[in-house]
Amino acid sequence: MARGRLRGKGELFALGVVLLVLVAFPAGIFGYQAWRTASAGVKIVNIVARAPEQGGFSPDRLSLRVGETVRLRISSPDVVHGLTIPGLGVNVDEIYPGKVVEVDVTPTQPGRYAFACTRWCSVDHWRMRGVIEVTGAAGALLPTQQPPLFQQLGIDIDAMRPAAQATPSAPPAIAAGAALNAKLPQDLTDPAIRRTLPPAAAFHDLRADPTNATLSDADIWNLVAWAWLKDVPPTALARAETLYTRDCAACHGPDGKGQGPAGVNLPGMAKMDPAMPKGPADFTDAGAMLAASDVLLQGKLLRGGMGTGMPEFGSLYSDTEQWAMIAYLRTFLFEK
Amino acid sequence: MRYAISETPVIKRVLRSRWLQWSLTALTLLFFVLAIIAGLAGTPAGNRNFGIVFVWIVWWALLILLLVPFAGRLWCGVCPIPAPGEWLQRRALVQPRPGGKLYTLSKQWPRAFRNIWLQNAGFLGVALFSSIILTTPMATALVLLGFMIVAIGTSLVFERRTFCRYLCPVGGFIGLYSQVAPLELRVKDTAVCASHTEKTCYTGSDAGYGCPWLVFPGGLTNNTTCGLCTECLKTCTRDNIAIFVRQPGADLLKTTGHKLDEAYKGLIMLACGFIYSTVLIGPWGVLKETARAVGTPGWFAYAGIFLALNLAVFPGLFWLAVRAGSIPNPKYPMSRLFADYAAVLVPLGLTAWVAFSLSFVLINFSYAWSVLSDPLGWGWNLLGTVGLKWTPYIPGLVPYLQVPVLLLGLTAALALALRTARQYGQSPWAATPVAIFCAAATLGLLGLYLA
Repeated sequence: MARGRLRGKGELFALGVVLLVLVAFPAGIFGYQAWRTASAGVKIVNIVARAPEQGGFSPDRLSLRVGETVRLRISSPDVVHGLTIPGLGVNVDEIYPGKVVEVDVTPTQPGRYAFACTRWCSVDHWRMRGVIEVTGAAGALLPTQQPPLFQQLGIDIDAMRPAAQATPSAPPAIAAGAALNAKLPQDLTDPAIRRTLPPAAAFHDLRADPTNATLSDADIWNLVAWAWLKDVPPTALARAETLYTRDCAACHGPDGKGQGPAGVNLPGMAKMDPAMPKGPADFTDAGAMLAASDVLLQGKLLRGGMGTGMPEFGSLYSDTEQWAMIAYLRTFLFEK
Repeated sequence: MRYAISETPVIKRVLRSRWLQWSLTALTLLFFVLAIIAGLAGTPAGNRNFGIVFVWIVWWALLILLLVPFAGRLWCGVCPIPAPGEWLQRRALVQPRPGGKLYTLSKQWPRAFRNIWLQNAGFLGVALFSSIILTTPMATALVLLGFMIVAIGTSLVFERRTFCRYLCPVGGFIGLYSQVAPLELRVKDTAVCASHTEKTCYTGSDAGYGCPWLVFPGGLTNNTTCGLCTECLKTCTRDNIAIFVRQPGADLLKTTGHKLDEAYKGLIMLACGFIYSTVLIGPWGVLKETARAVGTPGWFAYAGIFLALNLAVFPGLFWLAVRAGSIPNPKYPMSRLFADYAAVLVPLGLTAWVAFSLSFVLINFSYAWSVLSDPLGWGWNLLGTVGLKWTPYIPGLVPYLQVPVLLLGLTAALALALRTARQYGQSPWAATPVAIFCAAATLGLLGLYLA
């Protein structure tokens, strides 16, 4: 009898252990995670970053409120990704598969903040984007921003343009141009006007000016180079170089010649007008680049497309970064 | 030359305790539950998920590098998969029901399937999708859950551990390779069994249940069907059963009387070892991608080649080797020769799998440390080890381990081939084609690992 009771107690103990394993243990796992989330003191948003072919960011749209601190818990199940939310100052260089990266964000202004992957995670890497909508106390978004300059000026960025007829025989040097600073006319010292002019047109105007008769063509080109880059701080150029390496070099190549490995066989190329240039733009092509104004280049940067699958960068770059990037593109022709 | 380790008083007492198997099974069940939860709810990144890292790296390393070669079917004795079904069948967790009564419909498994053909088919099915299962936590969890559900179902309908004996895809090869182990459970004196009319080891008693593996221990001549659950040690009223340390591979020395299903199991394991070595760790990424692209034309081609290699090419080549050896003296049926010569595939296949496993276990084992701290990839750091980086262990030494392991397997296979020829009264030259088959297989694997 006593032995039977002992056996019964043993069975009860074993049953208790098995129930702990099958019920309490799973409950403990989920309970611990719930407690962890609750005790974090901030709202936690889990974002899974997958290669674009597998769905990209999930979720890819978030709604936050001004002043609300949110912890983004980002993980990747496949390859290394990165994350940038330029408007919120977030830059995560590496999200390794299976590792969880946590970033706290506290938006201070309402608006739409784009986020994107910063690592070439697949051939469709550039599709890996998302948007955070931040609403104010009244739930209103910021008023719509001014349309970009190319739209204000009615520039058709897809129109075919003749190549610049006059191109420098050697790379123009900014330093040499600086020595001729006094020769710069008013319209080239005012960025608002200069940005609307193609460098080739500026060269043409300067060349036609009788007061410049003693200057050689090379001098004029040096002056043009100086005009285009003199207001760009080195830090801005350095930032643009970083962005170029991250976002552009894969297609346009590190040397800007348009021969990056990801620029081969771009989607949509087969359907392009045969008269259009094939592949990513060659930033060392003086005929094309000197015929393009900064405003035109900004338009292309903002909108992307061009039949090559180039992503738009308007939502990822600040205004300063956009102009710095365009200045950086000029350095493929102009010597810094 | 055998030594009964279970006769040591302390070991005997432990082995006869009903708590031994239950406590170890409860522990493995805990890990099993964690693997399922991690698979279903954890990160999809395999190298950060407990389900993948602990099932396919840690458990697999434990199984193929240690348990099977040195302890045979010991894993089967503590495997969590059949445990819930067995507990339901017994309506008890530890203590036996009076007379070892089981609560099941007690249907007998169909006679036609009382072999390991279904295990072979199940293994092939899992192996065909292994590129997905081995790397996708959700797939691993679903497969493991599926095994457990089938095990519970069969426990409620059929007698004892029918699932383990006839269905478990893993149990098939564990049984085959357990013949190599230097450990066996056997009766001490068969005459005692013959005079024991109750046969409580098979029928059960108040002390325990009849052999869950449907085996009469008195008739055990090899390890393939003994699950080392130690139930018979508890129910034998004559104290006539023991666990012995023995000469490794002793089961294989009897080179006649083997079965065709086991021969095919050996061939399937060897073929899969080749395919895995080529597809999973070979330098051809396109093969790996194709094997993962289930449903695509490329995958169907892969599946066709996979099945052809397993079911036709390797068996066909082996059949030709056996046939060529028997031409001078064709008095024995080919099916018998084929099955008996297939004993050579046991050391050959086991060492092939050990060599294959060394290549990825040592390289990937370090993932276990971070997974211990964050088993679900949810950003935990329970033990402070989540930051430990992936570090391949002695990668430069892996080939130096693989080569002797493969050569050891080849040596054993050649010795078995000669022994088989001798037992059939054939000339040693009759074993030459089979020896060439074994040597070619070893050279092929060496080529894959060392190239």
